[in-house]
Amino acid sequence: MKISWKWIQELVVLPPSTMPEQVAETLTLRGLEVEAITRQGLGLEKVVTAEILERNPHPEADRLSVCHITLGSGEPLEIVCGATNMKSGDKVALAQIGAQLPNGVKIEKAKIRGVVSNGMLCSESELGLKTTSEGILILPASTQIGVPLALALGQNDIIFEVNVTPNRGDCLSHVGIARELAAAYGGELLLPKTAKLKLGRSPIATVLDAGEAGPQFWGCLIEGVKIGPSPTWVVNRLESLGVRSINNVVDASNLVLQELGQPTHAYDADQLLGNTLRIRDAKQGEKLKLLDGAEIELDGSELVIVDDSGRRPVALAGVMGGSGSEVVASTTRIFLECAEFDPVRVRRTAFRHQRRTEAALRFEKGLDPIGVGEGAARLTELVIELAGGHVVAATAKLSPSRDPKKKLKPAQISVDPSFFEDFLGLKISPSQAREALGALGFTVRGTVKKWSVTVPSYRLDVSTPEDLSEEIARSVGYRAIKPTVPRLNSSPHPRFDNPVAASLWVDDRAKDALVELGFHEALQYAFTSRAWLAQFGIQEGVPVGNPLSEEQQVLVPSLIPGLVQAALENWNHHFGSIAPSIRMFELRPTFHLRAGVGRVEALSEFDTGVEERSRFSMALSGSRLSSGLKPDLEPVDFADLKGVLEAFFSRMAIRGIRFEALKDRALWHPGQSAVLMNGNHEVGVCGRLHPSIESAIKARGNLWLAELNWDALKKLAKQRDRSQRYKAWATFPPIERDFSVLVKSEIASERVTELALRAGRPLAKVVRVFDIYQGAPVPPGMTSIAVKVIFLDESRSLEESEADAVSARIVSEWKQQLGASLRS
Amino acid sequence: MIQKIEEIGSLALRDVAQATSINDLEHIRVTILGKKGRLSDVLRELGSISALERPKIGAVANEWKRKLEDALTGRKKTLENIELSSRLVTEAIDVTLPGRKAETGTLHVVTQTTRKIIEVFSRLGFEVVSGPEVETSALNFDAINIAKDHPARDMQDTFSMGPGVVLRTHTSPVQMRTMKAAGGFPLRVLCPGAVYRCDNDVTHSPMFHQIEGLWIDHGTKMSDLIGTLEFFAREIFGPSAKIRLRPSYFPFVEPGAEVDVSCFQCLKSPSAQCPICKGTGWMEILGAGMVHRRLFEEAGPGFAGATGFAFGVGIERVAMLLHAIPNIRLLYQNDVRFLGQFS
Repeated sequence: MKISWKWIQELVVLPPSTMPEQVAETLTLRGLEVEAITRQGLGLEKVVTAEILERNPHPEADRLSVCHITLGSGEPLEIVCGATNMKSGDKVALAQIGAQLPNGVKIEKAKIRGVVSNGMLCSESELGLKTTSEGILILPASTQIGVPLALALGQNDIIFEVNVTPNRGDCLSHVGIARELAAAYGGELLLPKTAKLKLGRSPIATVLDAGEAGPQFWGCLIEGVKIGPSPTWVVNRLESLGVRSINNVVDASNLVLQELGQPTHAYDADQLLGNTLRIRDAKQGEKLKLLDGAEIELDGSELVIVDDSGRRPVALAGVMGGSGSEVVASTTRIFLECAEFDPVRVRRTAFRHQRRTEAALRFEKGLDPIGVGEGAARLTELVIELAGGHVVAATAKLSPSRDPKKKLKPAQISVDPSFFEDFLGLKISPSQAREALGALGFTVRGTVKKWSVTVPSYRLDVSTPEDLSEEIARSVGYRAIKPTVPRLNSSPHPRFDNPVAASLWVDDRAKDALVELGFHEALQYAFTSRAWLAQFGIQEGVPVGNPLSEEQQVLVPSLIPGLVQAALENWNHHFGSIAPSIRMFELRPTFHLRAGVGRVEALSEFDTGVEERSRFSMALSGSRLSSGLKPDLEPVDFADLKGVLEAFFSRMAIRGIRFEALKDRALWHPGQSAVLMNGNHEVGVCGRLHPSIESAIKARGNLWLAELNWDALKKLAKQRDRSQRYKAWATFPPIERDFSVLVKSEIASERVTELALRAGRPLAKVVRVFDIYQGAPVPPGMTSIAVKVIFLDESRSLEESEADAVSARIVSEWKQQLGASLRS
Repeated sequence: MIQKIEEIGSLALRDVAQATSINDLEHIRVTILGKKGRLSDVLRELGSISALERPKIGAVANEWKRKLEDALTGRKKTLENIELSSRLVTEAIDVTLPGRKAETGTLHVVTQTTRKIIEVFSRLGFEVVSGPEVETSALNFDAINIAKDHPARDMQDTFSMGPGVVLRTHTSPVQMRTMKAAGGFPLRVLCPGAVYRCDNDVTHSPMFHQIEGLWIDHGTKMSDLIGTLEFFAREIFGPSAKIRLRPSYFPFVEPGAEVDVSCFQCLKSPSAQCPICKGTGWMEILGAGMVHRRLFEEAGPGFAGATGFAFGVGIERVAMLLHAIPNIRLLYQNDVRFLGQFS
């Protein structure tokens, strides 16, 4: 909210020579953050008002004039001017030598075509008052000359931009801010001394037809007003707060809003039908043309003000007046409305009809119930001051809850004053606490042990002892609280007793493992566009209800499309001839509708129907090493990806993962991809991005990808919680045998090694493929697989003959099961 | 005979000195000192010599044998050294050629910062908990005292997912999840994680990360909150860091505070040009306060008599300050020129 420094100084007595910056700091440290201080008239310091004595043509230039001007005292000055809209006797703005205007122009003494110019006559755009203007600024004839222009224009205020938190609706006004400053500085509050309205029978009566949703409605009928422009001080005051001046009556209403925070409305009484104005619930389908010209259709949830015409409402209660009954130039009889409306109803209406007006912003935070009548009186007083006229009658309807003689009682809080010290950890005596509360308008009664604290009616946010403690703490300053360290009253849980901590620990180790393997950790948004997912043949994706852009349409069902996008962007942003290597991983959830759930909705307090599955995904492309000579920089292939995964699994002590050829999945190359199996469960997929996708997205290289079901794999990794046990190694020498096995090319090498291990039990301990060969002299369609078998007995030295016997068994098994022969 | 021995010996000595290879030396050794060598041949004739002269000749012969062997060993060593030197020259490589370097990976700066913060609070006894990113609005708002239709809901621009479901706008719902799951106190928990707001500019990202801290016990005071945050500030921003609390409003705490940390860039002389604090001398880091009594009421009877504090730190904010990162979007672009910097 914008706050005028000049106005504040009229409302509260501050210590002499208090600077605006100090006040801003004070407000900020009391919870009313001043976000900016704007000094009006910046750049106008050396611009003064002046009068043109005579205007003569420039002797050397047809388009220029030479003006003799006076500041009221001293010698007249000669000024060369290019404008043509001035004449002698005009009051103008003179930028003196040394001025630096808001647009950056510096004014120096200059000779223009032989004539010395002692300054510059300025246009509104040069003065920063408007963005465009024609000719120089001609001031009203009544302008005093020889004074700073800023003063003459009323542009000499300092404006604070205060960030008022939603709980402090009472500070959305100058009086509210002044109250805080009065408490802070102990200064006197100078509230406008407005006489209370004398209530009587009014030709227009107010009626409460919406119960507690509209609990009070004050009105005042004034006749003989003369609508016209407001005096300059009103225009300046409103416009410096960013409020446009309309006419004297509307401006009076806006002044009350800025001063007291009470929204009000003025009707042209001659446009109202009948003799009542009532608050009631809107009817569904009812139409209302608003002040801004738009016609809206009401759905029945709103509150409206209606007259006796019965046809249509005259205002959208708490939000905006209606068109047709507003005050216009010809208005002479006006009816002033000052009412209270239910904050929630106003808020919903303002949202529904997208009119979050200044009035609605105040109603939705709740108003001082006692302030409504004060607002009505103040508005009446200001209208008569600005527009003349006389009060015909003032009226008010209050529900029992708002009647001070009935139910309207101030809130009371009981509290033991020692609570403040215990709760805040702040040394404060009861008398200091009482003083702090008193300065803020609270009244403390009661005994040493039990206080009863009365809350001022405008502080709707204070209802508990904790609220009072905040009032005290911010009064003495949070910095008065000396830091302490909280006491540990119970021992910490063992880490692996807390499943989340244990799980996070495994996640951290997994990330570390990939970093050790030369990967960068990536971080992508959890949402993406349907179009991008479609590139990968992915239809799934939990939709976001209100995305800001297409990129936020759905929550990601896989991390792969995002990693691919990151790879593409890295390639696109790279200028060199060799595309940068991509080695990235990400550990994040993906989002899925749970099986059997049709759409996202709250199924219980804790359940949204959305499942978050932890994924560990990676992308690999480019050269094998980051530096080296040409032969070292071969592009990566499947074996590199598989090697990374195997190293990762071994680092995480995840055992028993098999790679099985994968065929026919949209995203993956059918001949260069694998599913990762643990027993019968698929725990991941890895391999190359399908070549048709690679070309569709214009990839600059082959992309090797993996996406792991981390929830499942993490369980296997959990064994790491326990310390690993030492294992001794064999001390007897092994025997090795190498074989060249000739098999059909479609036979997976793993079948060869698995058969050997099984047939060679128990002596064949390790079977390893160390080379493959295709091409002559190997016949077409066949592959020669070089296999090393290591035989070992942990308890004795083996005889060569034993190794020979087992080898024979293995070779015969290869022959029977795979039709394999040995190549010599 | 002595003359003959000396003749063989001195000739051989000359040959040794002139030998150019280890093979030559071996040849000389065999032809002179070998079983069938010339010196042996001469000594074989010793039998025909008188017993009186035999020792004398024998001594001369042995003397020459020793001399020759010494010469052979010496020359061999010399030749070996020559050969080694020339081999070393041919084996020389260019040590300035590029190394065969494996890629080095990095953790994302958000992860690094999260770990740093967790480590600090762990020392005080906090433990990590977590909650879902797609959250019910009941927990994201209502249960933590942000009622529907309350203006406080405007403080956050919310991504809505469906009836009663949102992308969590803060990690605070995890407070309530944890309290309800525990059913009682003491509680000392930290919840790191991604949160979402409909907002996108230089300092706001639609997704970002927070760490929520919650401490509930008997007699927990606001001064304990301040001490905890002061420790955090010193650990993260340096031992001379100071904190400043400004009263503020978060519906789930009372009293509430915005917490500033003294600018580590211009600690001694605040400068209006400082890109970090803009001359204020303070950096806005987190929000905090004493847990609101309505949260205890909501969490259940197990929280009767509890007091506590809570705080929420923006992780990107801390990371950007620590590493002088000018734009939050850099954190989500996954450009390797960015990722690789924070090793």
